[in-house]
Amino acid sequence: MIEISGLRKNLNGKWVLDGVDLDIHEGMSLVIMGPSGTGKSVLLKHIVGLFDPDEGEVLVEGMSVPKANGRQIREIRSRISYVFQNAALFDSLTAGQNIQLGLSPAKVREYEAHRDPRVREAIEHVNLGPEVLRLLPSELSGGMQKRVAIARAIVGRQRYILYDEPTTGLDPVNANVINRLIARLQGEIGATSVIVTHDVESAFYLGDRIALLADGGIRASGTPTELRESADLIVQDFLHPKLT
Amino acid sequence: MAPESSLTAGEGPPGGDLLPVLWLRGIGRAGLLVTRHIGRAGVLWGATMLALLHPRDHIRETFRQAKAIGVDSLPLVLLVATLSGSILAQQSGYQFTELPMWIVGNAVAAGMLTELAPLLSAIIMAGRVGAGIGAELGTMKVTDQLDALRTLGRDPVEELIAPRVIAGAVMMVPIVILANVAGIWSGWLTAIAMLDMTTHEYVYGVRSYYHSAALIFSIVKGVFFGVTITFIGCYTGLQAEGGAAGVGRTARNTVVAIIVALMVLDVVLAPLYKAVG
Repeated sequence: MIEISGLRKNLNGKWVLDGVDLDIHEGMSLVIMGPSGTGKSVLLKHIVGLFDPDEGEVLVEGMSVPKANGRQIREIRSRISYVFQNAALFDSLTAGQNIQLGLSPAKVREYEAHRDPRVREAIEHVNLGPEVLRLLPSELSGGMQKRVAIARAIVGRQRYILYDEPTTGLDPVNANVINRLIARLQGEIGATSVIVTHDVESAFYLGDRIALLADGGIRASGTPTELRESADLIVQDFLHPKLT
Repeated sequence: MAPESSLTAGEGPPGGDLLPVLWLRGIGRAGLLVTRHIGRAGVLWGATMLALLHPRDHIRETFRQAKAIGVDSLPLVLLVATLSGSILAQQSGYQFTELPMWIVGNAVAAGMLTELAPLLSAIIMAGRVGAGIGAELGTMKVTDQLDALRTLGRDPVEELIAPRVIAGAVMMVPIVILANVAGIWSGWLTAIAMLDMTTHEYVYGVRSYYHSAALIFSIVKGVFFGVTITFIGCYTGLQAEGGAAGVGRTARNTVVAIIVALMVLDVVLAPLYKAVG
């Protein structure tokens, strides 16, 4: 379980997160949505210790992320995988070597990347053929890069997968492919998923629960049905934006 | 009636009274910036030294970097060293007309060993290797690849920085030795082809200067330069922010910072040679 309480973060003089409280239970698929620039990605980065909070606590299975030392943070990160907004694949490594990095360093030495059975299984999970394993990221389309990044996230069988805007920058067809893939993996792997998005349609498709981040805090949270029926005007404005 | 000025008291260009305050504020800000960079670089240096305790973790990447930093730079370094040796021989031949000709060999050996081989090699490496490292790590920073590395349980210092710094230090040894050989060899070629000297005269001049401490100093200087180039490249790369423009700024800042650092280091190391000599 991931517990976030009273989280505050000031960036460039602005309180991007101003008292966020959120519990993420095991096995759930939680979508954090909200307008651009409201701190969704910043919140996600606090969970893996890429940001230190100014105030508040983040606990991953009872371990404090802000107070963790080097060994503890490695332990926490070994339970979490992270899919970055722009895939963040390493340019100088092949797709296979990128995926292999999701395994522990000791396991990497066992096989060459494109022959590693765990890497081949992961690439099949994301509906790509083994021939992709020898290609460099620059030789892949944006959608394929995202799928390789997801394969890297699932190869180590971590308990939590954090997705930061997984469909950003993709055309609607590829965005649907990625959404269906995330939903399918959630069923097959059973990991706890936290998905950050500003896309309402993706949020309702993927989330068991949805939390709306606005004005530095969680404005509303609940099941998709509860959110749809919310009387909160900000929630309704976000779900049904008007052009005029 | 004269039109009323749109400027009120306190607006407009700063008066003489304000200038010292503005100067002081500027100096204070610059001081804080330098202190912050020194502090961050110190922390990174400490982490790099700790990473050196686990060489097995990055041995493969160190070999890859040794090729990229050292082997791939060698043709350009040798070309510049060859030209430098030739220029030194010509200029000393033309200038020292009142002295015996063997002085040309002496001047080429002294120039190459004490300054040109390590410094010119380092300046080439600053442009080729330092800027490359800064841009590469800067790109990794702005595209979240460094954060990705951290979330994968890897330490960027062990994976990226330590191998580059080790490779920079180690590869400068053969680079400086070969630059010395190339410079002294081209000086000999120039001396016999253009200055009417004999090989015997030239070799006599080289041997009259050469002593093992000079070569050791040349190599030690190269190692210091190698560490400086790679470490500053890594440090400035990690400071990059702001997309493609930020990476461009980083590459430029890296070269400027390395060249300034090399010159400062050269000044600091000179008395050491005098003491050893």
